[in-house]
Parts: sequence; C-alpha cells; structure tokens
Amino acid sequence: MTAQAIYRAFLLCYPAAFRREYGREMQLAFADQLDEARHQGSVLAVWLGAAADVFTVAPKEHWHVILQDVKYALRTMASSPAFTAVAIFSLALGIGPNTAIFSLWNGVLHSSLPVPQPEQLVMLTDPNSVGVSQGSQDGDRSLLTYAEFEQLRDHADGFSGMMASQSSLDRWQVRVQNSEWEEAHGRLVSGSYFQVLGVTPIMGRAFNESDLPYAVISYDFWQRRFGGSPDVLGKTVTVRKAALTILGVAPQGFIGETSGQQPDLWVPLRMQPGVLPGRDWLHDKGADKVMWLHVFARLRPGVSIAQAQASANAVFHSGLEAYYGAILSPEAQRQLLDQRLVVRPASAGASNVRQQLADPLKILLAAVGVVLLIACGNLANLLLARGTARQREVALRLSLGASRARLIRQLLTESLVLASIGGVAGLAGAFVLHRLMVRMISQGESDFQMAFRLEPRVLAFCLGATFLASLLFGLLPAWLTTKTDVSAGLKSQGRSMTGSTGQLRWGRLLVAAQLALSLPLLVGSGLLLRTLHNLQNANLGYSADRLLVVRVDAQTAGYEAQRVPPLIRQLLDQIVRVPGVRAASYSDNGLFSGRDSADEIEVEGYVRTGDKDKGSRWDQIGPGYFTTLGVPMLMGRDINEGDQPSSTKVCVINEAFARKFFAGRNPIGMRITNVYADNRVVYYIVGVAKDSRSHSLRRDVDPRYYVAATQPLSELDGAVFIVRTSTDTGPVLKGIQQVIRSIDPTIPILHATTVEDRLKLRLAQDRIITQLAAAFGLVALLLSAVGLYGVLAYGVVRRRSEIGIRIAMGAQPRRVVKMILGETWTMVIAGLVFGGALAYGASRLIASQLYGLAPYDPATLTTAVAVLALVALLAAYLPARRASRLDPMVALRQE
Amino acid sequence: MPISTAFFHILIALADRDRHGYSIMQDVASRTGGKVQLSAGTLYSSIRRMLEQGLIEELDDSPDPSSSDERRRYYRLTRAGRRAAALEVERLNSLLTQARASGLVPGKG
Repeated sequence: MTAQAIYRAFLLCYPAAFRREYGREMQLAFADQLDEARHQGSVLAVWLGAAADVFTVAPKEHWHVILQDVKYALRTMASSPAFTAVAIFSLALGIGPNTAIFSLWNGVLHSSLPVPQPEQLVMLTDPNSVGVSQGSQDGDRSLLTYAEFEQLRDHADGFSGMMASQSSLDRWQVRVQNSEWEEAHGRLVSGSYFQVLGVTPIMGRAFNESDLPYAVISYDFWQRRFGGSPDVLGKTVTVRKAALTILGVAPQGFIGETSGQQPDLWVPLRMQPGVLPGRDWLHDKGADKVMWLHVFARLRPGVSIAQAQASANAVFHSGLEAYYGAILSPEAQRQLLDQRLVVRPASAGASNVRQQLADPLKILLAAVGVVLLIACGNLANLLLARGTARQREVALRLSLGASRARLIRQLLTESLVLASIGGVAGLAGAFVLHRLMVRMISQGESDFQMAFRLEPRVLAFCLGATFLASLLFGLLPAWLTTKTDVSAGLKSQGRSMTGSTGQLRWGRLLVAAQLALSLPLLVGSGLLLRTLHNLQNANLGYSADRLLVVRVDAQTAGYEAQRVPPLIRQLLDQIVRVPGVRAASYSDNGLFSGRDSADEIEVEGYVRTGDKDKGSRWDQIGPGYFTTLGVPMLMGRDINEGDQPSSTKVCVINEAFARKFFAGRNPIGMRITNVYADNRVVYYIVGVAKDSRSHSLRRDVDPRYYVAATQPLSELDGAVFIVRTSTDTGPVLKGIQQVIRSIDPTIPILHATTVEDRLKLRLAQDRIITQLAAAFGLVALLLSAVGLYGVLAYGVVRRRSEIGIRIAMGAQPRRVVKMILGETWTMVIAGLVFGGALAYGASRLIASQLYGLAPYDPATLTTAVAVLALVALLAAYLPARRASRLDPMVALRQE
Repeated sequence: MPISTAFFHILIALADRDRHGYSIMQDVASRTGGKVQLSAGTLYSSIRRMLEQGLIEELDDSPDPSSSDERRRYYRLTRAGRRAAALEVERLNSLLTQARASGLVPGKG
C-alpha cells in the first residue's frame, strides 16, 4: 500500500495528460516489478529506477508537451500572419524602448566599472563633481589638490592602494611623431592609477610613480589611430608642450574611473606643467588651492568605510592645519578648517552625467513602462477578438476531453511565443535606440560614450518584461476564451465572427484603461514641451541675437599674469575694428561657460543675519560690458575706460544684489569688501544693472557684483570676448579668429560661437528628454487609437445584421454614426476621468523638471484632454462611417 | 536515423506476439539475462513516442483470454515498426561488418 502511494506521488511529477493516459498502467507494471523483485532480484534497483525516471523521463515528457504547445502556437501564428505581425510589432514597440532606457539607466546609474573587484573601490571625493575649483571649500570636500592626494596616499591607514585622476576629461591638441596636430581626449592620472584599478595593459606596461614622460593609450585609440599596429610602443606623442613616449596599450573596453567617458590616452599627473602649461597645479600655494582631482582607493581587507574615513580625515585635517597655520591668521584659519572628506563606495566610478540624468531617466522609464502596458492592452483586445473566432476550436477540444487548465496553458504558451518574438525584435530595436540616445546625449555632453551591453541585469529586465507582458495580455483572453459553454460553442456553426457580449465588455474596459494610461503621458510630454519652450525663450535680460562669445586662453600660451591685461587690451582694440562688429567687451567667466566665482563679502551698512547671506557671486568685466550686452543700467554707470589699475576700485551690482543687500537704500558709492582668507579688497559701487542671465537658465538670477577687470580680484588667465555684431555672425566670427591668430598664433581659442548656439548646447539634454517623452506620448496615443478603432470596428462587424436591419428599416446614415459614436463616449469619458487622476499623480513626479509653469497646468491638461478626445473621435468615426454605409442586403445575406 | 535502445528492445519483444507493458519488461529482462531492466517510466514514455510515430499500435481488446488481468493494455508491432526494426538490424549488421573488416574486433574468418 505504502509503496503504491509513494509511486503515485512520483507520478505527480509527470505531465497531467501523460499521467491520465499511462498512470494506471505504470502503477500496475511497477507493482508487478516490485513483486517479482521481492522473490528474485533487487527491490532497491526497482525503486532506484522509478526515482531516476522522475528526474529523466518526467522532464522529458514535460518538454515534449511544451514543444507541442510551441509548435501548435507557431502553426496558429503562421495561419494568421497579419495578426501575428501586428502583435509582434506592438510588442517590439513596447519592449524595445523599455530595454533601451533600462540599459541606459543601468549604465549611467548602476553599472560597475569594468575593472576587477569594483566593489572594493571607494572614493574620497564627490563622484558627481567635475572640473577645477580654485580657492577653498566649506563642509564636504568635492575635489582634492595634488598635495592633499600625496599626503593621503602616503599617510592614511586603511587603504591598500590610492590613486588620483583629473576630474575632467580634456580635449588636448596632440601630435603623433611628426604628423599634424589633432584632437584627442586625455586624462592626467597618478602613477598608481592602473595598479589600483587592477588593470594590466595588453601590450607594453603601465607607468608607475617614477615614470615621467610616458603615456598609456586606449585600445580604441590604438586601433583608430595606429591601425592596431604592434610597433606603437616607443612612439612619441606630443601633448602641447610635453613629449611623451607610448609605454602601453590598455585592454579593450577599459574606460578608466569615470563612467560614460573614454579617454584616448592617460598621462602621469606630474606631467601637468607640460600638458596644461602656464599653471602649477601640483603644489598648493597661498590660500587659493587648486582642487581638480578625484581620489580613488581600495580598502584594506577588514577595514570598514567608517574606519577608512576617520583615518583619511585625520590625515587631511592635520595637513590643512599645518598648511593654513603657516600662512594665515587664526581667524582665517578657523574659516578654512571647516572641511572634511567623505569616503563612499565607488564601484560605479565617477560620472559627470549621473546626477543630471538620474531623474529624467527614471521619468522616461516610467513612461515607456506605461507604453508597454498600453501595447499589452491592444494585444489583449486582439486576442479577445481572435478568441471569439476560435470558440469553436476551443469548444471542440473541451468536448474531446482536454481540460480547461490544459487549454489555458496552450493559449498562454501562444502568448509567450508571441511575446518572445516581440522581445527579440524589441532587443534589436533597443540596440538601435540606445545608440541613438547616447548620440543625442553626447550632443550636450560631448564626451559621453556608452555602448549597449547585454549585461545580465539588462537581459534579465528584457526577459522579465517579455514574460510579464505575455501574462498581462494573455491571461484574460485565455481565461475568457476557455470559459465557453461547450454546446453553445459548437452550435455557433459558421457564425464564427460573433462574440459574446462579455468579451466585448472586457474589450471596452481595456480601451478605457488604455485611454486612461495615455493621458498622463500626453500631459507629461505637454508639460516638458512647454518647459523646453519656456527655457528656449527664457528672458536673459539681453538679446542673444547676433551676440558672440570667444574665449582665449592666454595662460596656456605661456603668458605670465602681468602680461595678460595688455594682451586683452590689444585683442579688444583689434576685435572692435573687425567689419560687422557693433560693440565688444569681455569678462572673466563669460556667458553660460560653466565657470563661476564666489566669495565671502561684507557690504557697507548691511548686517548679516546668518550664513546664507555671507557671500555673493562675482565676475570681472571689461569696459562697456553692459552696454555691449544691451543690459540697461538702472542707476549709475557701466564700467568704462576710465577705470584703470591706479584709480579707485569700482564695481557694478545687479538688481538681485541691490534687493538683497540694499533694500530701500541707495547703493551708489557704497563699499563691498571681498574677504578671502586674510585678503580684504574694497570696491565702490558705481552702478546698478538690470538682472541678466549669464549662468543658469532655470535658477532665479543670483545676486552678483561685477568688478572692473583692470582692477582684478583674481589675476586673469585669459578672457571671454563678448561681441555684438551688426551683420551676419559667421564672417565676423572668422574675422575675430583671424585677428587673434595674427596677434599670437599660439593662443588657444577655447570656444568661438554664438550665444544662441551655446544656449542650444546648454538645452541639449532638456531637448532630448522632451523629444523622447513626446515620442513615447505619441506612441501611446497611436496605440490607444488603434485599440479603440479595433474594438469599435469589431463591434460594427459583430452587429452587422442589426445595423443592416436598421438601415433597411429606413434609419438615416447620420443616426447610425451617432449610435456608434454614442457607444464610444462612455469609454472615452471613463478613460479621461481615470486618466486625469493618473495625470495628477504623474505631474508631481516630473515637477522637478519643469520650468516656468506649475505641475498642474490647466492649459496643458486641457490640451492633452482635447487631443486625446479628438484622436478618439477620429478612431471612432472610421468604423461608424463604415457602419452607416453598410448595404443592408449584403449585411443580411452574410448571416 | 538509429533508433533508441529502448525502442529496439520493445520492437523485439513485440516481434513474436502482442504484449502488455509488464510483459514487455519481463521479456526484455529475460532475453538479456536481467542486464536490461526497463523502468515503468522509460517504458511508457517510449510507448507514447512509438505510438505517435506509428511503430506500434494499441489493441482494442485483450488478445490473451488466459491473462489474469483483462484491464491491461496490449500493444502490437505495425508494418512500419517491423520495417524500422529491419532497417536498424541492417544498420547494426553493416556496422559490425565494418568493425570486423577493419580488424577492430575478431571476425568469423
């Protein structure tokens, strides 16, 4: 008895159909075998055989059933190619963007650096910081100086290795051997760089602390520039003033410590004076430190992050105390010693786009998720309609003894096969879309690079989305299709196109849900479109039309600080003579250049209330700066030619500055004292300019004061010339570049462009996100329209005879149209009401991305509702018109 | 295409008379001196596939009134089954001839 019970349990491992067919026979045979074995032979062998079957024969039988289902599914799909094509296309439209955005999201936010044991890496600097910061910082330090890195590397416990890298990826002028100068992406890194990252060159070797004039090149650069030639080692690459010997080639796919960037070559940090001439960024001098490095380390085994941070901070602080103690008064020291390091896990490395892209990518991911849901709705509707057509087949199989569960399994297998093909098509689409998005992003962040990689996480996401989609769109139709009454199903003879009203009801519910889901996407893209429009038309305080900015870098060309002002004077004198130039001036930081200055200040007659108003941003400007821009002076005068190094130091403040520090007082003639460390510099206010934008488009205009560049707060290393033209900008720009080259051909021109182009670049990312969101909104709208059209058209076909009779009885075509449209309204209204609620929630999600409008923007909501209603009307009108033109004789004959 | 060992054993067992499942198992075991013991799972999985391929067929009623249990299902070799067996024998024969000719195993002379 017991033996039989156990064997019955074994049988449960086989597919139900097989068990039904052979279970009893197998039990009998097993019992006989066991009986015989008790007399002669081995009982154990019989049991082992039965147990082995569970692991070998049973899975094989399951596989057989699955294969049968798949074959059947493929046959069914092949028999209705139009349906199959539409279904696969809709799925690919849903799964493709999902996979592409997920892959980008994963790559930007979560992907580990392609180095061994990335999880051991920590950063002592802020992964999102990039660039060069001069002066000092309060609180958490974002970047470090070279001297600080050396101290930490040599004295901090808890790390098994530490390296530093230039936080920004530079475009360098390089020359290979004696060929032409060309541009390459390069990064200065410490001698410990490759060793700490755990990467060995595939050819040659990496440089170490003692190697100086050497470079390691990337695999891509080796392939691109040297055709993968093995004799690349030993060749000379000149980067500006540094002649370097190629020492090694990094492995393929090695990008370094910053995600999304691919340097062409890595050069030892100590080559900085040659690579970035005119600066000394290797030594701290005075209170103005140059912070420009990221510092990475690997923790020693057994050391926690907290321990490492404590030890790093001890070294950092004693370093700061020793350094500032020697050069500053105790009061100034107190101010500058409030700095600390934060040690954080850094398996994903640094990134200059992670912070900006995190929210937009999350929003896009949500949007494409909704698109997939809408696509699933369409498929469910298609399957419902087809299920009705297959009712006879289902009824037949049920009457022949197939169980409902078996049929549902069969139908779900069909859904899964459909979804899988759609998923593969989607994956191909994702590959293309990913490349497209990376290219779009790189328009704004010119160094952004990220290949589509089928990482386990991306693959799992794609498989998961496919599987989930197949359940989402397959379950309801499978359930409803197999719910038929056998006798009714068989009786419905030739009228295979008629469906139950229940299925039509479900179809309408699905369409209402699709419409509801589309609305938040439409509202969201509407809000983003309006935001982009607002940003593009943001009031700068001056006209960007025919305005040029040209940055020259005198420092790199070898000009010492005292030779820079005369050079700028000379350049300006020549620039105003270029034909087409109406006015010209210059400033230190320029317009929308990403460079800014701020310091602690004391304002005459103003009493500080806290830490928030202790500082202000500032810039250094040439004569006629505001006049050139066309920014009106509200009081006093612009900086002019009379403001010379020897005269009284003067500045102009903006409205925001006047509001904040001179509420109700007359600022003209008042003093602003710039306080930095032990330095105090006094400027007298000679004018108040209307607020204008030179840095951020989104933020409120910050209080700012503009000192005369001839009386600088910090020495100029070059200038940004600001030029207003009276004619076309193109030829003027060329003329200006010629003038600069004629004065000194070695001066690098870092950028020469119109302000309009700069703003376009600045808005590139907003534009990409908006365009993608709008595209997905459009796809959602189209899918919903197709869904609505399908359900109505199907309804018309189903009721052909009824409509035919109505027409035969004399109903006007208009009445028929009205009848069909009337049925639509309930769906549309229900969809809009639920969609409105969803849109309300969704607009909160994107509030942080908006500019110049509230998340609950009535105009956008109204427009979105109107668009959706209009498209719904159009989708409904086509089947309604077809119904009204039915020939009653034909319609009735088809019965 | 060679057919599986289990298939071949079942074909041999059914060559002389129609049998039910356990009878096939017994026949295989006795012919091979107990070396080959078909398990119930292997047997019926093979039977399912052989039925699908038309190598055997199931009898509508028990041909053996002397059998103690009439509920058992009996199977019979089809013409296709016989042909498949013949082909398999031919294949094995040719293989054996080749092995002997090459000197891999001693031949009959």
